[in-house]
Amino acid sequence: MEKNCLKSKVWISVLALLVAMPIFVVAMSWLFPERELWAHFSTILLPNLISATVVLLIGVGIGVTFLGTILAYLVVMVEFPGRQWLEWALFLPFAVPAYVLAFVYLGVFDYSGYVQVWMREVLGLSGFDIRTGSWAIILTFILVFYPYVYMMARASFKRQKINIIEAGRLLGTGPLRTFLKISLPLARPAAAAGLLVTLMEVLADFGVVSLFNFDTFTTAIYSAWGDFRSIEVAAQLASLLVLVAFFLIYFEKKARGQAKYYSNEVANRKPYRAFGVMGWLISIFIFSVFMLAFAMPMLQLIIWGWTYSGKGWSVKYIDLIISTLILTVSATLITVSIATILALPNHCKKNSSWLKSVINIATLGYALPGSIMAVGLLYGINQVSAISIYFGGQSINQIIFGSIALLLFAYISRFMAIGYNSIKASTEQIKPIFTQSARLLGVSRLRLIWKIYLPMMTPGILAGGLLVAVDIMKELPATYLLRPFGWDTLAIQVYELSAEGLFEQAAIPALIMVLFGSVLMIIFQYLDKKS
Amino acid sequence: MLLVNHLSISYQATQILNDFYLSLATGDIFALLGDSGSGKSSALRFISGLDEAQSGQVVLNGKQLSNNGIHNVAPELRKIGMVFQDYALFPHMNVKKNISFGIYNLSNSEQKTKVEELLLMIGLKGVERKYPHQLSGGEQQRVALARALAPSPKLLLLDEPFSSLDKHHKERLVLQVRDILKKTNITSILVTHDKYEATIFADKVGVIKNKKLTIN
Repeated sequence: MEKNCLKSKVWISVLALLVAMPIFVVAMSWLFPERELWAHFSTILLPNLISATVVLLIGVGIGVTFLGTILAYLVVMVEFPGRQWLEWALFLPFAVPAYVLAFVYLGVFDYSGYVQVWMREVLGLSGFDIRTGSWAIILTFILVFYPYVYMMARASFKRQKINIIEAGRLLGTGPLRTFLKISLPLARPAAAAGLLVTLMEVLADFGVVSLFNFDTFTTAIYSAWGDFRSIEVAAQLASLLVLVAFFLIYFEKKARGQAKYYSNEVANRKPYRAFGVMGWLISIFIFSVFMLAFAMPMLQLIIWGWTYSGKGWSVKYIDLIISTLILTVSATLITVSIATILALPNHCKKNSSWLKSVINIATLGYALPGSIMAVGLLYGINQVSAISIYFGGQSINQIIFGSIALLLFAYISRFMAIGYNSIKASTEQIKPIFTQSARLLGVSRLRLIWKIYLPMMTPGILAGGLLVAVDIMKELPATYLLRPFGWDTLAIQVYELSAEGLFEQAAIPALIMVLFGSVLMIIFQYLDKKS
Repeated sequence: MLLVNHLSISYQATQILNDFYLSLATGDIFALLGDSGSGKSSALRFISGLDEAQSGQVVLNGKQLSNNGIHNVAPELRKIGMVFQDYALFPHMNVKKNISFGIYNLSNSEQKTKVEELLLMIGLKGVERKYPHQLSGGEQQRVALARALAPSPKLLLLDEPFSSLDKHHKERLVLQVRDILKKTNITSILVTHDKYEATIFADKVGVIKNKKLTIN
């Protein structure tokens, strides 16, 4: 038994630590402190950037928590007109990259956009600057990221025992108090998990903040690297983000640890029915969110795309689609395979705090901004080359820099958490008694995995794979820095064109991306419903 | 007084109750017997206002709560208490908070007094700060009863609350609960498939057979 565990421990540790390598490289940067630059950063740049980041995190955090939880509660607990398709439609904004929504809103609400032109020419009002203050960027982030909280809270509400809500009602409690006192506290850990992912996404964002010219903590990282040419300080600043993410994960896990309130059955009965005026008000509210986060931006993209398609449709879009697909499919397959190995139930994992820790570390890459992940990898390889040359060997830079392998590695490390969390959740239904009875029937470990574990984990593996694929397809900064020469993807095309204000041209690749993403989300929805 | 009249319930084109009639005087303890799927829990859910029916009327103390299978009064306004088969205690609240959940409109000191009285009555004084998962099945059952009794309901519905208890504990608890209900003089309906439990608990026993209710 001990020998088997030793083998498992070595294998899993190697795999997990390999995935977590960029984090270690970034952490290693502290071996090369640059005091002068730090003095400059800490006195001049950081105070303002940190306060701007905190404002952004608080605003987005409050917004996504309210919106995601309320939407989830309404679609799960209340029967109202159009509920079924709205429940499904609310997932679609997942398919829209944050920077796409940002450039659509900038295009529509900026000085030269329809809204301000109309305000000036028709109403005679002076316009407003959408880039002033933080309200516009906070709203954009809320509309892009509320689905994380919505998805998690919805799953939690669905698993709440309906009897508990009914007991509350029979004790004289109205819908609002039932929500506040029963449903919400029970769904709190799930909503917190969604909030955690959102905050990490906001911390790591590159596209939206740069399109809005909004300076955050990541600006300091780029400044250290771009303006001061110090990879070390950039990496040191990035490691602080990992530290914040580590604390967030710790608190989320602690909160989740106390929550075992769920029923194994998903109830389809709705405790509340809202027809008439109230029902329509709920429908209009949810439909408005869908319109703002998905339908209207898509309509705008279609209009721009249509306007531009007459001028410049070309075969280059096929090349963009192919290169995006190659990267997305291969990175997703590898990520999901490693995540499955890390999540497979195993008594060694269960009893080893070391393995639990290394697996947790392997999922921390999600907190690293894509660009820092890229810089970390380039920096790490550069160091390896330097050591190799020191010992009389050759540099490996030329072989690895600009190779697909490096980019795939960045994707795997960055999105492991998404795949792992989804697959891990599916292992929770594998009760120890299944393993015990299979082992007593003489089933080998391999057969146990093949016949019992994998079939039960399949929904989680597929769901995790779809979410990872959507995220990889949308990924921008790491792709931007690490892609092989000539490998433009849809995301890069969208960003480059929209950064120059060429919204009409950016619309077609953006639409293709949203279309692919929507198809993946529809399959995700179908699997979710089936399971 | 409770009157349930012309109650008919069907699920997916299968009729399970047809023209169910029941009349109880204030303080009556009634047991409703029937096989699994006979419609006894469905009848209870209709009376409580949680589910609608094809047809049926509910009148409690002269007030019409439901008519033609549709509810005129929402469950939260009916003043009907219910003890569920799995007790449905709020897992994130301790015993005190569970019991006081339905009396939030009283002052803190009144809530405290009421909770203490109820805990004394169900013989569970001292467990106020415990959470449901820290209690035995029998203790959870009694807390669920105390919680349902706290808002002084006009009618108490018990949906197989003793079914998960062992025989020895069940008999003792059934008699204890009956005593409490008699003391409080609350009209009650117990749904069960255990004939003996029904006999020792209730003043009157009814059986659902062939979609109809027969009162013994």
